[in-house]
Amino acid sequence: MPSLTLLGQSLISGLLTGGLYGLLALGLSLSWGLLRLVNLGHFALAFLGAYLTYQLGTVARLEPWVSVLLIVPLFFALGVGLHVVFVRFRVAEFASLLVTFGMTVIIESLIQWFWTADFRRYETAYASASTRIGPLFVPTLEFLACATAAVLALATWAWLRFTYVGKALRASAEDPAMAAAFGINHRRQAFLVSGVSAAYAGVAGAYIALISTLAPAQMWAWVGVVFAVVIIGGLANPIGALLAGLLIGVSESLTMAVVTPAWAPLVSFSVLILLLVARPGRV
Amino acid sequence: MSDRRRGVGIGPSDRRRGVGIGLLAVGLGLSALPAVGVPAFYESFLYLIFSWIALATSWSILSGYAGYFSFGHGAFFGTGMYTTATLAASFGVPFLATLPVAGILAALLAAGIGAVVFRVKHLRGELFGLLTLAITFVLATIVLNTRIDGGPGVYLLGVPIPRLVASPAGTIYLLGLALAVATVWTAYRVSCSRLGLGLFAIHDDEDVAEVKGVPTFRYKLVAFALSAGIAGVAGGIHAVYVSYVTVGETFSITVPLYVVLMSILGGARHWLGPAVGATIITASLYAFTRGESAIIGRAVVAFALILLILLLPEGVLPAVLRRWRAWRPPRAATDIATPTGPAIEVTAGPDGHRIPVKRPDPAALRCEDVWKAFGGIRALRGVSLSVESGEIVGLVGPNGSGKTTLINVISGHYAADRGRIALGDLALSGRPAHEIAGVGVSRTYQIPRPFGHLTVLENVAQAAMFGPDACPLHQARVEARGWLEFTGLGRRAAALPPELNLHERKFLELARALAARPRVILLDEVLSGLNTAEIASAIRLIQGIRESGTTILFVEHVMRAVLELSDRVVVLNEGEVIAAGTPREAMRDPHVVRVYLGKAHAA
Amino acid sequence: MLLEARHLAIAYGDAPAVWDASLQVDASEIVAVIGPNGAGKSTLINAVAGLLRWRAGELRFAGTDLAGVPSHLVCRQGIALVPEGRRLFTRMSVEENLEIGCYRSEARQARGQTLERVYTLFPILRERRRQLAGSLSGGQQQMVAIGRALMARPRLLLLDEPSLGLAPAVVDQMFETIRAIHAEGVAILLVEQNVGKALEIADRAYVLEEGRIVAEGPPAVLLGESRIQEAYLGMRDTTDEASKVG
Repeated sequence: MPSLTLLGQSLISGLLTGGLYGLLALGLSLSWGLLRLVNLGHFALAFLGAYLTYQLGTVARLEPWVSVLLIVPLFFALGVGLHVVFVRFRVAEFASLLVTFGMTVIIESLIQWFWTADFRRYETAYASASTRIGPLFVPTLEFLACATAAVLALATWAWLRFTYVGKALRASAEDPAMAAAFGINHRRQAFLVSGVSAAYAGVAGAYIALISTLAPAQMWAWVGVVFAVVIIGGLANPIGALLAGLLIGVSESLTMAVVTPAWAPLVSFSVLILLLVARPGRV
Repeated sequence: MSDRRRGVGIGPSDRRRGVGIGLLAVGLGLSALPAVGVPAFYESFLYLIFSWIALATSWSILSGYAGYFSFGHGAFFGTGMYTTATLAASFGVPFLATLPVAGILAALLAAGIGAVVFRVKHLRGELFGLLTLAITFVLATIVLNTRIDGGPGVYLLGVPIPRLVASPAGTIYLLGLALAVATVWTAYRVSCSRLGLGLFAIHDDEDVAEVKGVPTFRYKLVAFALSAGIAGVAGGIHAVYVSYVTVGETFSITVPLYVVLMSILGGARHWLGPAVGATIITASLYAFTRGESAIIGRAVVAFALILLILLLPEGVLPAVLRRWRAWRPPRAATDIATPTGPAIEVTAGPDGHRIPVKRPDPAALRCEDVWKAFGGIRALRGVSLSVESGEIVGLVGPNGSGKTTLINVISGHYAADRGRIALGDLALSGRPAHEIAGVGVSRTYQIPRPFGHLTVLENVAQAAMFGPDACPLHQARVEARGWLEFTGLGRRAAALPPELNLHERKFLELARALAARPRVILLDEVLSGLNTAEIASAIRLIQGIRESGTTILFVEHVMRAVLELSDRVVVLNEGEVIAAGTPREAMRDPHVVRVYLGKAHAA
Repeated sequence: MLLEARHLAIAYGDAPAVWDASLQVDASEIVAVIGPNGAGKSTLINAVAGLLRWRAGELRFAGTDLAGVPSHLVCRQGIALVPEGRRLFTRMSVEENLEIGCYRSEARQARGQTLERVYTLFPILRERRRQLAGSLSGGQQQMVAIGRALMARPRLLLLDEPSLGLAPAVVDQMFETIRAIHAEGVAILLVEQNVGKALEIADRAYVLEEGRIVAEGPPAVLLGESRIQEAYLGMRDTTDEASKVG
């Protein structure tokens, strides 16, 4: 049985990793919940963002936050573009899974083409920085990722809850015809959601670049976890995505501490499977 | 299914023989290759094509035919690979003996997954895809972390390969060829069989398929296990081909991605489609698999998948077949050979209409104190009614009174919360919908729900095949033609349901309900949306149905029809029976008048 | 004439077709369209609301031809719909549902004022403003649906089977409310299966049977004719029987 300190550190590590899961899940939860389209390409976009951050950071020597400022509008445009394709070809919910599946592979190949399959590490000055709380360490970058996740989750929640656009989005998601009867333009809204979702992917990607080592095939490792988080948290539920991310993160890291690390992926996938089977009605 | 635009010219057994001979010929021809002494490269390349043919074709048996897109084919392939690797390398089991074990284990895995997942109604479409993807990753993790692999992979270099021909490569080639031929043959037989028709029906509308007699759970399970078993055997053979098995390579995204692409490219619903797709893709990929281009190769493959889903959703082979058929000189109606096999006996009805003679098999329908609630809404509150055998009973009532819910409960679409429903002596309540169809209850849907990818003829044949008197496909087609004539849809036999207008689609519903030769038929607003002339013709049709000896319970709003047709009328309001009796009696009951016309009118 | 429909022909998938419908609603009127189910009443009103396209004929609102107007811009013309079955946004609160009603900018400016008006009309909604719309009773949901439409400050209010699934006492109350709304200057086009209530409230009515308008006129005249009995009860000679029944 590991020591209390180890457990405590695992808890912290789990929470912070969970925050990153939540950040990545946020965009997916939004697009799936509000648009009824499953975007597997979300992961590819995140990794594209990660590699761009890496590239801008190592080659152009741009600070990560500057890269993010560039990435956000670019990815917003990419998201809108993706949805234009969906609309143009009248892609329905299930076909979207297939199309984005293909998209993910293409982006993965592109990434591998430019950056090769070698592992890439974005070394920054604050990579090893951390704050000490008693016997426990809180790594700065991971903490920032988690904090960003919380801020964005709250902001998105507030946006959906309090603004007119947010309410219109929620109404459209439930009954687009009736929403239209009261003046809501579903198509324009969909572009907005797609763009925001992609932008969130980009931001998550930037943090992934800062925190972990990059390799193209890595993106598939996140798929199970993030889908589990999205489904546990509930579609189009930003706070739910954050909390679910924290939950999964903690259970994974505790598993890693108590059992061997190699079993960790099992946790998220198994939870996903259990949830898919046990959850009544539509997700 | 590809003879749908021809008449029943060539008998099915002829066709089966033809395809069988064709496959055998191709197989034998190709098997001569090792003996002829071609360079090992060709054996290797062709083996890969055979392996992909087996994988893609087996995938499509569930996913293409029934529409349950599985992203987990890699799990079954991997199960097979590791079974052979473990048994042969660690336990010294002779290689050939490991193959059936590989197949069986994979099939059992699928059966286990299916037993849980297929019972869950909401796990269709993309959720099923996600689930199977997740299962693949779980399996990979387990294999990686246990003694099965543990990390370093499994070497099969020391495994002796039986010498069927000169070289081991040749043996592997022959095994791959044999599996490919066997798989394609299996796919062909399935697509022409009862199982296949059931799967195609599930693809288009699973709930309706269940109500029309298809045992959906069983069929999905069988298709899934069959598909997985073949993939398992393919994996077993492949283990020896690569001779070094690792988790990363085995459980990668390649197998799930490629089988989807190959099947969709070639045509996932056609037995030969995935084979065509596999050949095209493998050959094209070869052109890219040189060093750096492997990466580009994958990107191109994925791009092709996207383009295909967007532009050619049905696949290359069906498109080619369609073009080929259009190019051939059109057959005149007289070219279509007269159907062989037992025809429907017909007799002349009262106004000269030909009506089918029905075996006397009357049944009474009884509902006792049936309750059904949806959430807080109590749709049926203690409904009791009976329909004597051979009677026509009209079920009327204002909107929302529970009429369609009652039909849904009787036909098994929903289970009643309380109460008994019986057909003659047989209890219906509590049975799955396909069993209820099997004992002779048939229904139409208010908004027609035909199987969109099956022709009009096939829609009716499906109902005939899965009715209480199960009959082979050939005979079902013959009977279906008879029912189409009866409902006036004879000319439209080869059309697809989206091409029909509302009137024709409603009559198709009728034909499907009749083709099952039911003892009781439930009609749900057959007349709504029809014009006066169409209504008159429908009324005559329904009278003809009664004359052929079927009990009828029908829901209707067109009061003229209700009065003309019904022996008795039952009036529902807010889930309760408020009046029952002859049409005149019921419609003059003061409560009924009040419900329909309001107090002012009744006063 | 506020609303003018001329020889409308509507068909949409399997929805009952309307072959030839001509009707008018004046700004000061309550007009009812009655008829048995499957006659095409919902189809007709959905077309007016912009949810369905029509194949032939003409539809004008305040002089504007509605043919080219896309669904989400119909509301701007001044038409608001209370659809069949309420169709509330069940996962949003009562107040949020009402706010969707005034999404369009002109209505949004008057949000506070209109909201007050709705809450005065339906006091119970004020109590339950934060409650999820899906958890309300049928009658309360109907109030929200009507309130939502009122938030759009329409000139013409469309009601599709408002009495469906409601208890008789609630129905009475609701029709009183409809009268009150009309008194404030909103024209009403009402589609109803409940002949009695509809004719009580309407200035004029149309009878729709199998997709065609077969009769029109003031309620008193229509009640006397046997067309209604025929359409609903299928019998031509019940006028004597019906008047004997008490």
